[in-house]
Amino acid sequence: MVETSPNGRFDVALQTRTPMAESMLSLVDLEVRRGMGVVLSGFNLEVASKDVVVLHGENGSGKSTVIESCARLLPLEKGSIHHHGALVVDSEGRRNIPPQPFGLTLQSNGLLGDETIENHLSTVCSLSGMKTDLSPILESYGLAHRRYDRIGQLSGGQARKVAVIAGLLPAMLCSKPRLVFLDEPGTGLDNNALAVLASDIGRLREAGHAFVIASHHPDILKCATRLHDLESESLQDQTPCKPWKAIGVEENVRLLSTKVGHRYLRSTRAGLARNGLTALLVLGTLLAFIDPISIENPTLLVGFVLAAPFAAGLAGDPVLYLMREQRAADWWRAHVNRLPNADFIAPILGLIFTSLGCILFLDAFDWKLSLLGAGMVWVTLFCVRFIELSTLRLARPNAVFIRLLLPILILPWALIVDFAATL
Amino acid sequence: MRRRVPEIFLGLGFAGIMTTLYLGLNWAPSVSIDAFESPAAQRIFYWHVPSAWAAFIAFGVLFFGSAIWFFKRSPLGWRLHVAGSEAGLACGLMAVWSGCVWGAAEWGTPWDWSDIRLNTFGLLTLLALFLVLGRQSQPDGVETRDTFSTFGLYGFVLVPLTYIATRFWQIRHPGPVIAAGEDGGSLQSSMAVVLLIGALSFTIFIIGHILISMRITHLEQRLEQVQKSLDGGN
Repeated sequence: MVETSPNGRFDVALQTRTPMAESMLSLVDLEVRRGMGVVLSGFNLEVASKDVVVLHGENGSGKSTVIESCARLLPLEKGSIHHHGALVVDSEGRRNIPPQPFGLTLQSNGLLGDETIENHLSTVCSLSGMKTDLSPILESYGLAHRRYDRIGQLSGGQARKVAVIAGLLPAMLCSKPRLVFLDEPGTGLDNNALAVLASDIGRLREAGHAFVIASHHPDILKCATRLHDLESESLQDQTPCKPWKAIGVEENVRLLSTKVGHRYLRSTRAGLARNGLTALLVLGTLLAFIDPISIENPTLLVGFVLAAPFAAGLAGDPVLYLMREQRAADWWRAHVNRLPNADFIAPILGLIFTSLGCILFLDAFDWKLSLLGAGMVWVTLFCVRFIELSTLRLARPNAVFIRLLLPILILPWALIVDFAATL
Repeated sequence: MRRRVPEIFLGLGFAGIMTTLYLGLNWAPSVSIDAFESPAAQRIFYWHVPSAWAAFIAFGVLFFGSAIWFFKRSPLGWRLHVAGSEAGLACGLMAVWSGCVWGAAEWGTPWDWSDIRLNTFGLLTLLALFLVLGRQSQPDGVETRDTFSTFGLYGFVLVPLTYIATRFWQIRHPGPVIAAGEDGGSLQSSMAVVLLIGALSFTIFIIGHILISMRITHLEQRLEQVQKSLDGGN
C-alpha cells in the first residue's frame, strides 16, 4: 500500500497513470438513496484502464449500491455516471446504452434456472457482439462436464461460477478495454475457482481491462490495485503477469432480446403453460355453460370468441415471469433497454385460440377475427408487461397487487368486441 | 383545540351525512314513476352522488400528493398521497357500491362493462385499492414512494375522463346532476338542498379523514425512525 486519498474523492494527484482522457468509468458527485436512507452522497470515482478497484467497506456502506449504480440499475438523486466518456445515467433520468459492452455479476446470480450453461454464456457473448469456444473457460472453472445442464440443476457454488464467468466474459472476448463489475464474486466459490478467478482478474487487468469489485474476500482483496472503503482509498502494487489474450470472434447479432425470449419459451414451454392454458380454461368454461347454437346475438358470440385470447394476454408476459428469478430481469436491464419478451409467440397464440373460438362458437373460420385476436393478445400482453415493469424497482415486486389494475383493459376489449361484431 | 380539528371535521361530517340520509330517505320528494323503473331506489342518489364527489376530492389530493413527492421529494407530499389514496378508496367503494345497488334496481344489472363512466370510476377505485394494498406490502423507501406516486400521477388521467364520460359517451350512466350547465336544472329545489347538504357533509368528512390519515402516516414515520435508531441505524 502506497498512498491514501481522503473521503473517497478521486484525487488526480494520487493517480500515477490516470489522466481524465483515459477514464473508462467516472462517477461524478453521486448521491443514491435506498430505502429511506442516503447510502452514497457526494461520491466520486474515476476508473482507468488496468485499474482493479476493490470496494471493501462495512456491510451497508454502499458497495453493492456503487456496482448497481454503475450498471444503471439504480436511479440517481444527484450526479452522473459515464462509461468510456459517454453518459449512461444521471439524476435527470437519462439512461443510455453504454457505448461498449460491460461485464456484470450481481449479488444474486441473475440466472434463469431453465437455461443451460452453454446457452446463458453464449447469450452473454452475443451481448458483446461476439462468439467463442467456451470449453477452455468452463474447464478452468471445473464446469466443462456440466456445459449442457440446466442452471437450476447446479449447486449454489456452481451457479455462482456461471454468474462470475458471465461477468468476466465481455472482457475475456475482446482486446479493447472493457469495464467489469463484480459484486461479491468470491462468495460460494471453492478454493480452486477462487485461484482461477484471481488469476483471470490479474491477466485481464494486464490486458487493459478495468474492474470494480465489491468484496471482503482476502483472495479478491489481493487482486486490487486500489482498495476503497467508500471513505478513503489506498493504492496497492501488483506484480506484472502474462496478459489475457482475447478469445472472441466478432459476430453479427440482431434481435437478440426477441431471440432470447423465444428460446426461453421454447425451453420452458412457459407460454403454453401460462397463457395457453389460461385461454384453454376460458374456452372450456364457456363451453361448459353455453350452447353456442342457442345464442343469436352476434356481439355475444364474438365476445365468447375473443374472451380466450384476451385472457391469454391478461396472463402477462411469460418471459418476464421467468426473469423474476434471481434478479435475471435486473441483469438484463443493465445491459439492454429492451428486455427479452414473448412478442414472437403472443400473436401466434392469439391466432390459434381465436381460430379455435371461431370454429367452436361461430361454426366457421373467420380470418378477420383471427387476425384481430392475434393483435389483441399482443397488445394486451404489451400493456400487462408495461404495468409489471413499472413495479420492478420495488423491494418486493411480486407482493404488489398488480392484477388490480388489469380491469383497465376490459373496456377497450368490450369496444373491440362491439366493433368486431360488425365485421 | 387545534389538535382536535380533524376529529371535529370527522364528527361534523358524520352528523351531516346522517342528516342527508334521513332527509333523503324521509323528506325529499319521490321522483316520477314514469321516468324511472325503480323510483324508490333513486333515493340512494343522496348517498351516491356526494360520495362520488368526495372521492374526486380525494383523488385530487392523491394527485397533488403524488406530484409533490415525485418532483420535490417532500414528506408532506407522501402523506397527502397516502391520505388521498385511503380516502379515495373509502369514498370510491361507497359510490361504486351504491351505484351497483341502484343499477340492479333500475337497469336490471349492477354493472355494465361497456359504460365509460362506470368503468373509469371503477378503475379509479381499483387504483386506490392497488395503492393502499401495494403500499402495505412494501417496506417504506424512495423506491416504493416513487413507484406508487407514478401510478398516482398516471391514474389521475382517469379523473377528467370520468367527469366528461357521460357528456360524450352516455351509455347507461345518467348525465350530470351537479354542474350540468344549461341542460341541467331538472332537480327540484328540495332535492337540490339535500344533495347540497350531502356534498358539504361528505366534503367536511373527507377533509377530516385526510387530516387524520396524514397524522397517522406522520406518526408511523416517526415510529420507524425511532425503531431504526434503536436498531443502531441512522
